[in-house]
Amino acid sequence: MSDSGERVAEPRYADWEAVYRDNVTRVYRMLYGKVGNKADAEDLTTEVFMAALGPLRLEASAPEVRSYLFTTARTVLAGHWRRTLGLEVTALDTDDERWLVDLGPEPEVPSTAPQRAEAILAQLPEPHRRILQLRFIDACSLREAAAALGITVGYAKVLQHRALKRAAALGEVAT
Amino acid sequence: MSTQRYVRDLLRGRRPRRFPADAEAAAELRAAITLAAAKPDADSPREEFVHDLHRRLSEQLAPAPTARSAPEPSSNVTPLRLGPTRRRVLLAGGVAAGAAAIGAVGDHLISADSTAGDTEAAGTLEPNVGTWRQVAASSDLEVGGVRQFDAGSVVGFVSRDAAGLRAVSGICTHQGCRLNLDPDGRQLDCPCHNTSFAVDGALVRHQLPQPPAALPHLQVRERGGQVEVYLPTV
Repeated sequence: MSDSGERVAEPRYADWEAVYRDNVTRVYRMLYGKVGNKADAEDLTTEVFMAALGPLRLEASAPEVRSYLFTTARTVLAGHWRRTLGLEVTALDTDDERWLVDLGPEPEVPSTAPQRAEAILAQLPEPHRRILQLRFIDACSLREAAAALGITVGYAKVLQHRALKRAAALGEVAT
Repeated sequence: MSTQRYVRDLLRGRRPRRFPADAEAAAELRAAITLAAAKPDADSPREEFVHDLHRRLSEQLAPAPTARSAPEPSSNVTPLRLGPTRRRVLLAGGVAAGAAAIGAVGDHLISADSTAGDTEAAGTLEPNVGTWRQVAASSDLEVGGVRQFDAGSVVGFVSRDAAGLRAVSGICTHQGCRLNLDPDGRQLDCPCHNTSFAVDGALVRHQLPQPPAALPHLQVRERGGQVEVYLPTV
């Protein structure tokens, strides 16, 4: 094994199928983190590969190919928000690019979604943190969440609403 | 309220419905999306989806079974050989050219034919017997502007950018639905199958097994303060 400074050639993809196999999970995962639902994540992933694979040259190195997929995904995501909500709710940034491009070739791609959610939850007061944890991450119904917190369903709804507003305010400060 | 409905859709795993959001709504949805994405295993793609997209890409890219075993002697560059699809190239003109414009993509990543102008590939409508007809006042079409016109036999869009005037057909090349100019005036959307074209006629996005052709162009000129398009004489 030579050390990293002497690496001879960067890895390349043999064909478009190799590009697809190696990147479909990571592109999907990256986009899912930005739209939060399967239907949109699937549509956008489709759009990225449909648009990117055709004109791609395979002599580019694997990181270059991923960087190109990233740029295509960023354009596709921006178009999605323009069409659906009229403003850019989420965007792909340099951290996302690093995550997509720098990962090794293994198909198992660790998700960074839990850390990002935790970063929000950790800053919230206890009741807000718990209602959001129960509803969004533990996938509890309002009724189940209310029971877990010992409050009425009506109040659970109000609490969730307030908690999300508070989480939104945190995000504004952080970015 | 639309924001709450959007959050409810996220929580129920449904496709959220669109609405015109403001900055406050966007901040709330951003938090909701980040949380929803952290549900255990939620962000792994379905196997059927991965498989199905692979199949659709195979159809679109149509790699000849011999393509990989038989080298192509004539080409010194090796763009993915993807069948005889001028239309595929036009797709590249949309999103890929947009990506390239952002600056993060080197030209060398994209095969040369993808940068070929879409104008000649799309073709220009030339009626056997035609007439120049006014479709807009020059003063109504500033640089960056787009105007729709309906001339009976032909409907379309005229636009002006730094390079000059341009006119394209307003009918989707897939199955003939009439295109709508999107609210920010940047692209033409097909109401039938989520296909979009740039105002210069290039395909921007589609969800069809085969990419539809770019929009035909029309001849356009400016005379006496009027924008005129060459249209069939009726």
